[in-house]
Amino acid sequence: MTKRLTAFYWMTVPAVILFFIFMTLPALQGIYYSFTNWNGFGKHYDFVGFKNYINIFTDNNVGNAYLFTFKFAIVTTILTNVLSLLIALGLNAKIKFRNFFRGIYFLPNILSVLIVGYIFNYLFSNVFTIWGKNLGVSAFSTNILGNEHMAWIGIVIVAVWQGIAFNTILYLAGLQTIPTSLYEASNLDGASRWQEFWKITFPLIAPFFTINMVLAMKNSLMVFDQIIALTNGGPGRATQSISHLIYTGGFQGGEFAYQSANSVIYFIVIALISVLQLKFLQGRETDM
Amino acid sequence: MRTKTNWLVLILVAIGTILILFPLYMTLTIALKNPEEMTRSVFAIPTTFHWENFRNAVKMTNFFQAFRNSALVTLCTVVLTLLTNSLVAYAIARNMNRKFFKGLYFYFISAMFIPFPIIMLPIVKLTSAMHMTNLVGLTILHTVYALAFNVFVYVGYIRSIPIALEEAATVDGAGTWSTFWRIIFPLMGPINATVGILICLSTYNDFLLPLIIISDQSMYTLPLVQYIFQGQFNTDFNLAFASYLMAMLPMIIIYLFAQKWIINGVTQGAVK
Amino acid sequence: MKKGRLLLACVLLVSMLSGCGGSKEADGKVKLEFFQNKPEAKGSFDKLIAKFNQAHPGIQVSQINPPDAETVLKTRVVKNDIPDVIALGATDTYSILAQSDIFTDLTQSKLLENIEPNYIKMLKDITGMDKVTAVPYATNANGIMYNKTLFKEMGLTVPKTWDELIATAQKVKDNGKIPFYFTYKDDWQTNLPFNALAPNLVGIDFFKQLREGKVTFKEKFREVAEKQLKLLDYGHGDNFGKNYADGNRAFAKGEAAMYIQGSWAIPEIRKANPKADIGFFPFPAGNDPEQNKLISGVDTLLTISEDTKHKKEAEEFLSFLLEPENIGQYIKEQTAFAAVKGVNQEDPAVAELLPYLKEGKVLDFADHYLPAAMQLNSIVQAFLQNRNIDGYLQTLDREWDKVQSRK
Repeated sequence: MTKRLTAFYWMTVPAVILFFIFMTLPALQGIYYSFTNWNGFGKHYDFVGFKNYINIFTDNNVGNAYLFTFKFAIVTTILTNVLSLLIALGLNAKIKFRNFFRGIYFLPNILSVLIVGYIFNYLFSNVFTIWGKNLGVSAFSTNILGNEHMAWIGIVIVAVWQGIAFNTILYLAGLQTIPTSLYEASNLDGASRWQEFWKITFPLIAPFFTINMVLAMKNSLMVFDQIIALTNGGPGRATQSISHLIYTGGFQGGEFAYQSANSVIYFIVIALISVLQLKFLQGRETDM
Repeated sequence: MRTKTNWLVLILVAIGTILILFPLYMTLTIALKNPEEMTRSVFAIPTTFHWENFRNAVKMTNFFQAFRNSALVTLCTVVLTLLTNSLVAYAIARNMNRKFFKGLYFYFISAMFIPFPIIMLPIVKLTSAMHMTNLVGLTILHTVYALAFNVFVYVGYIRSIPIALEEAATVDGAGTWSTFWRIIFPLMGPINATVGILICLSTYNDFLLPLIIISDQSMYTLPLVQYIFQGQFNTDFNLAFASYLMAMLPMIIIYLFAQKWIINGVTQGAVK
Repeated sequence: MKKGRLLLACVLLVSMLSGCGGSKEADGKVKLEFFQNKPEAKGSFDKLIAKFNQAHPGIQVSQINPPDAETVLKTRVVKNDIPDVIALGATDTYSILAQSDIFTDLTQSKLLENIEPNYIKMLKDITGMDKVTAVPYATNANGIMYNKTLFKEMGLTVPKTWDELIATAQKVKDNGKIPFYFTYKDDWQTNLPFNALAPNLVGIDFFKQLREGKVTFKEKFREVAEKQLKLLDYGHGDNFGKNYADGNRAFAKGEAAMYIQGSWAIPEIRKANPKADIGFFPFPAGNDPEQNKLISGVDTLLTISEDTKHKKEAEEFLSFLLEPENIGQYIKEQTAFAAVKGVNQEDPAVAELLPYLKEGKVLDFADHYLPAAMQLNSIVQAFLQNRNIDGYLQTLDREWDKVQSRK
């Protein structure tokens, strides 16, 4: 048995070494730099202690980025999950061409987020505005990405358009695990569709709901590619996500150390939220 | 009971697919028009197909070179990931009762939450010191970074495989390694499909890692070369859209042929 | 069995990967890497490099023009893999890099002999250093383009003062046309009026005093802010929805009478409409035409890496680029201006700017003097949306202070 265990240790060793070198070591270096004033490329830097961290908490741009990111993440997560659950229910119903439709709904998932963003950027500016003008709705006759109050909605639209694909397929897989005999029984009981959904369907796909919620939340908290392709954080800083702030401030702004401190805090926040979410949703799963 | 087609649902589902397909329809038609046709109507199907947009885009982006680079990196990453990540996950999954392995599990998956920008510059330093600023380095990095999420997915799956199978093999005198390759790995088909497809997509579509790692322009991947249409200086949308379409096309073609397999692959692993 | 096959496939793949990267033939030539940040200048440099390589059989120059060039350049510095010759704009990035001592000191170099002293001084002002580590190459101009055909149709003349500018814009508006085509979806575009107004109304000295903590934006920038807002009355319906590319096409097609833009856009506009009849006048910031200066900055400067093994060859390449014939070709293709004395831009579109350049009535871009970490572009873009002057000036001061305190 010990020989067996040794083999198990050997299986992990190369991965642990590589992972340590390429992930942990750089991350530790990043944390180290967060206590300096390194600009990202110069040869000289000094230790500044917790100064960067203190400045983060008084920087309204950071607060603003957190606010946007959370607003975006919550709305996107909810919309993506509600819509993809609806679509999955539709695809699970007795309809013609089911595989064809399923294939189309999954299509956005295989496309590059960046390129999809570029395409939508053009559509928002030059195509959707034509509809707005034709319909005479003034709010939609201008590019919503150029409006500081509405630009975030544009980003949500693109993120949901693409995010639905994966979640729908997962929900559909979950729905297909439910034996039809269960529905037949409830039909005899005279339960309405609505009751059927909440009493039978939803509890049985709860694990899928959990994983979809957690993944959608995590992905949208890290939103970056969409921002780069659609608004670059603008107008002003109206759609600046935390990743975007770290990237632009750290590289274009030459404040690598300062934004490293921001990254450290951000890492803690995302990890905490994911763990809490998992605990909460899994707790509910067992209740049901 | 539910034997007839539900027409209401069918119609709603069909409307949804129109919303999904519309941006792609626009991409295709814009890619085939020239600026004059654009001014006539943005929506209409082009009257003459301007295939020269594609020809010019191929020239401007050095498409075939970039495609070869993308394809090589993606292929190698998929193979390497499937072989290595599953092995690590197997060792962890079968020893979750031991502190070392359980610790390892959390060590790997916690990396899912590390914001990429914080490791960006240290990584650049490291890879250049190790002479890894090329496609090999890119492949290794993709494989290593995939570990976080893949260990999470694999471990869940492997634990659902009954341990009795392995015990039987051990009794027959097979070592741990051969047990894995002969018995477990073949059983992991569905989850390997899931992981393989996801890593294939994320590697093929990645922008930031190749941007900072690769110095030599002859090693640029497809997403990098699209940038020339996004710099501050571009006026020819038709050319840009032709190029975007070409960058997405390889994946779309694979998807068209292997659609069923891909969707099943993504879900099978998750159902367990 | 299966394992063996897979491993074999894996080894094969990896060897293919490494095969297609490293094998560059060593033919005894000195290889120079020329890194430059302007995507639209790639073609022009390619031609010049081909000519140089042909004339110098012992040297092989290759051009690198990556996406997000400034970020990539910084990663190259981190890699200690600094390209031999680097071309950049005279921006804050150049200033930070110059202060990190990665460029060769050219203060005494012959390469600077024929350069307009004005532009050398600009570099010194930007970096705050006495030594010169770059050769100014091409320069640009920021002003107002106008559609000559439309101006003629409406009987308009080129405005010389701020009041005339507004009156002209009003006339265009009354004629039912768009006075200015704003492209404010791109935040860097919102900066163009700021870059023209601030140096003329407040002066470049302001930024030196700012560094010494003697002045604030609040005291000096109210007029600038008011004029930035005033311009917005004369835009089109979707000022914040259109980007630079949209603007170039719209202006080329004659959709607007005027276009606040830099000279770098002219080749792009001509691509969209080769027949566009463009004129270009300096931005009239105030009401005294004698005082008004043209905003012109160093669009491209050339530097040599301190660490390069081939300094001699790099200098040879620079002096080749600076030869009147070659820089002449470059500025012609790019509609730029030469920092080299005696090389003139003959494009009729910019003819009205030449007297200013000749008399040295030029001022630099304001944002070259502000740290990139301030993200001036977003501040200006946000202000133009919320139109809150007090908040804007306060933000400018606060962001300046914050960046200083983080150093």
